[in-house]
Amino acid sequence: MSEHRRRPQGAEERSEPGGEQSDAVSRGGGRAGPAAALRAARAELVGPGGPVGAGLRDALTALYDRWLADRLSGVDDVALVAVGSLGRREPAPYSDLDLVLLHRGRRDVAAVADALWYPVWDAGTGLDHSVRTVAEAVAVARADLKAALGMLDLRHLAGDRALTGLLRESVLAGWRADAARRLPELREATRARWEAQGELGFLVEPDVKECRGGLRDVHVLRALAAAQVVDPPGSGVVAARDVLLDVRGELQRRAGRALDRFVQQEQDSVAATLGHGDADGVLQAVSEAGRMVSYASDATWRRVAAELDSRRRRWLPGRRPAVGVRRPLAEGVVEQDGEVVLARDADPWTDPVLVLRAATAAARAGLPLAPHAVDRLATESAALPSPWPAAARDAFVDLLGAGRRAVPVLEALDRSGLLVALLPEWAPVRSRPQRNPVHRFTVDRHLVETAANAAALTRTVARPDLLLLGALLHDIGKGHPGDHTDAGVRVVRGLAPRLGLSYGDSATLVAMVRHHLLLPDTATRRDLGDPVTIRTVTEAVDGSRDLLDLLHGLSIADGLATGPAAWTDWKAGLVADLVQRAASVLAGAPPPVSPPPTPEQRALADAGTLAVRVEGETVTVAAPDAPGLLSKTAGVLALHQLDVRSATITTIGAMAVNVFAVSPRFGRGPDPAVLRADVARALAGTLALGERLAAKERAYRTPSGAAAPRVTWLDAAATAATVLELRAADSMGLLHRVTAVLERCGLAVQSALVSTLGGAVVDAFYLVGPDGSPVTDPGLRARVEQAVVDAV
Amino acid sequence: MKLVTAIIKPFKLDDVKAALETLGVVGLTVSEVRGYGRQKGHTEVYRGAEYTVDLVPKVRVEVLTDDLDADKVVDTITESARTGKIGDGKVWVVPVETVVRVRTGERGADAL
Repeated sequence: MSEHRRRPQGAEERSEPGGEQSDAVSRGGGRAGPAAALRAARAELVGPGGPVGAGLRDALTALYDRWLADRLSGVDDVALVAVGSLGRREPAPYSDLDLVLLHRGRRDVAAVADALWYPVWDAGTGLDHSVRTVAEAVAVARADLKAALGMLDLRHLAGDRALTGLLRESVLAGWRADAARRLPELREATRARWEAQGELGFLVEPDVKECRGGLRDVHVLRALAAAQVVDPPGSGVVAARDVLLDVRGELQRRAGRALDRFVQQEQDSVAATLGHGDADGVLQAVSEAGRMVSYASDATWRRVAAELDSRRRRWLPGRRPAVGVRRPLAEGVVEQDGEVVLARDADPWTDPVLVLRAATAAARAGLPLAPHAVDRLATESAALPSPWPAAARDAFVDLLGAGRRAVPVLEALDRSGLLVALLPEWAPVRSRPQRNPVHRFTVDRHLVETAANAAALTRTVARPDLLLLGALLHDIGKGHPGDHTDAGVRVVRGLAPRLGLSYGDSATLVAMVRHHLLLPDTATRRDLGDPVTIRTVTEAVDGSRDLLDLLHGLSIADGLATGPAAWTDWKAGLVADLVQRAASVLAGAPPPVSPPPTPEQRALADAGTLAVRVEGETVTVAAPDAPGLLSKTAGVLALHQLDVRSATITTIGAMAVNVFAVSPRFGRGPDPAVLRADVARALAGTLALGERLAAKERAYRTPSGAAAPRVTWLDAAATAATVLELRAADSMGLLHRVTAVLERCGLAVQSALVSTLGGAVVDAFYLVGPDGSPVTDPGLRARVEQAVVDAV
Repeated sequence: MKLVTAIIKPFKLDDVKAALETLGVVGLTVSEVRGYGRQKGHTEVYRGAEYTVDLVPKVRVEVLTDDLDADKVVDTITESARTGKIGDGKVWVVPVETVVRVRTGERGADAL
C-alpha cells in the first residue's frame, strides 16, 4: 500500500510514547491526543518487559476503563457499558472492545457516540459497538443469542449507573425467565461450534477460544449459572480458564495481532514466558485445561437438561417427577437420576476396589459417573494393595471391555486424578501431545481409544484380558525419553506383576509392547513371499499362535485409533496376509515362496511388446527388460500423481513384468492410454521426465526442515537378496530418483515396498548385485548409500 | 507502470472522477462492490446486534498510470473521496508488468 504524502484530515497528531503516559491517557491532553495516548500506553503494556498473565489483563482493564471513562466525562443521561472480554475484565492484547452506549433518547446521541468511537478507531483498536436505549438493548438480547451472552457479562464503565443497573436487571430477568427456550438454543449452537472447531484437548494447534474445552465454553458455563439452573463453575474450571487466558495473552503479544489459534511457531516462546518449559510442556497444560473444561461442560449440560426437564414436569397435571429413585448396578454402586453414584453404605476407604466397580458399572450401563461420586472416590479411596487382587484386575479388564462406553468414564477418572492413583505409570502420558500429522489424539487418549477399539476384537483372541491391557499400555513408554518401545517394555515389566498378572501373562504383555509395531511394519516394508519375512515374525512371537493373534488385534486397534491415514484397507489386507502366512508356518506348513508369474503376466511377456494394464489400483507394465525400466516407469507414475506402495519385478525371458500397487494422490485414477503413451516416450527417451518431475515438485514443494535421510542395510531380512531400507521425507518422484541411482550402480531391484506416513517414507528395496547375489561389498555399499542420499 | 485501486463510498464517485480529470487522467474502470473494514460495516449509531458484520455497498475505481504519476493519483483520490466519517475506504498501488492497447497493439507506457 502506498504512503500518503499528506496526512488525512481529522487524524490526531501522534507522538512517541513518553514517561507520563498514564497522566496523558487520563487527561487526553498534553501534546498527545487521546488516540495516540491509548496506542502508546497499550504498546508499553504489551511490549517486551510488560506484565504477564493476570497482571497484563488487570493492567489492560485499568487502562481501558480509565481512558473510556475520560472520553465520557461530563456527559449526562448516558452510560457506557463494557460487555464481552472487557466486561469480564479479561482483555487480550489485541481483543476488540465490546461497548454499548446506553441513553434515554437523547437527540444528540450521535455526537456523543462519535466522540467515543472515533478515538478508539484512530487508536487502531478493534471495536464492537452499539448505541441503544435499555428497551432496545433488551430486545436485541431477546432476539440474538450471542448478544445476550455478551450482555450477561456487562460492566458499568462511566455515566449514569442507574441506566446500567436497569439493563443488567432486565437482561438477567429475561435470561432466567426464558431459560427453557434459550438454553436448548445455546446447547445447539455449542454443539455446532464443537463440531466445527474440534477439541482443544487433542489438537496440536488449538483455538484456545472457540474449540471444545476453550474459553467460549467457560463463558457458556457462566451463562448457565446466570440462568440459575446450575451452580457457577468450580475452582478447577477457573484455574483452567486462567491457563488459557495466560496462553492467549502471550500468544497475541508474540504474534502482534488478534490470534487465538495457538500456532506451533509461538509455542516455545509462550512456554518460556509462562514457565511451562517447552512447547510440549505448554501444550500439555493447554490440553489439561481444555479437558477439564470439556468434562465440566458435559456434566453441567447433563444437569441443565435434568433441571429443565424437572421444571417442565412440575407443570404437567396429575404427574410428579420421579426424584431420587436409586437402582442397584453393582455392590456399593447405584444409578440415580441418570448418573452413577455410591450406595449409602459404600465406603471407598475400606473398599479400595469400589472405584473400579463403580467405573465398570457406569461404563456397562452407558451412564456417567456423578461428579460428586467421582470427587468422593478421589478423596476417600484407599490405595489398592500390590499386587492387585483378582477382583480389581477383573473389574479393570471389564471396564476396558466396555469399549467406547469406557472412554468418558476413563476421562472422568483421569480428570480427578484417580487413574494416576491406580496407575502411576499413566502420569507421563497424560495429555502428552503427539507432534505427528498422523495421530489424532494425545498419547493418553490414543491409548484409551486403542483399548476401546480392542474391545470389539476380543473374540478373535484366546486372551481378551491381555488384548485389552496390551491395547491400553502399548505406547506407555511415550512419556519417557528414548525409544518409546524400549521404555514401554521397562514400564510394563514393573507394572504387570503389580496388576497381579502371572509370570507367563506378564511376559506376554511385555512381548505385546515390544512387538506392537512388528506386524504393520513388516507387512508394509517386507516381501511377504520371502520365507525370511515370515520367519522374522514367527521367531518374534516365539512360536506362539496366541501372541500372534494378540499382536494382530493390537495392530488393528492401534491403527484405527491413530487415524485414517495410518490404517487403510490396503494396510489391513497386508497385515492379515502376513498373519495368515505366519499362522500357517506355526501350524507346521512349509514357508511360503514367491508365487510364479500368473497366466496373465505370462501372456503379456509372450506378446513381447510394451503393454500397460490398469486394474483398480494395480498397474502392470510389461516391456523388454532393460536398464532404467523400473525407474522410468516409477517416474511416469509419479508424473500421473500416482503414489507407489509396492513394486514387484518379474523377469520372464527377455521381458520384465513390473506390477505396481498405486494409490492416486488426488483421487483420480490413471488413464491407461495416456499412461501407456507416457511410458513409451519415457523408455524411448523422448519424455523430459526429470524436468517435468522437477517442475511438478516445485509446484507442490513441501516445507523444508525434515530430518536427514537414513540408509540401512539389512542382511538377514531376505532369502537371496539384501534389503536396503531408506527413511526420508516424502517427495514427488522419490522412488524414480532412488531406483535410477540403484540402476546406475549396477544393482537389480527385485521388489520395492513404500510405506508413507505423515510426510515420511520408509522404502525397502530388495537388491541383488550385478552377479545376481546379495550386495555385500562394503565399497559398493558405501557408494550406493551416498548416491541414494544425494538423490533424495 | 502502476495500477491504483481505490474503494470509496458510492456517492463520492463523481467528485473523484472530476478530480482525476483535472489531474489529467484520461481513463479509469469503475465497478460496484460490497465490503467492510474494521468497523464491520456499522455506522456510528449502530443499534443492531454486536458481533454481526454487514457488507456495505462501495465503488471500486482502478486507474493505470505511469510510475511517476502514481503518488499524485493516490493523493487526488484520497482528498476527493474523503468525508471524514467511517467507511471512506482505502487506496493502494500494485506494480503492473505489461499493458497492451487492444485496438492498436501498443504496449507499455504507449498503451496508457
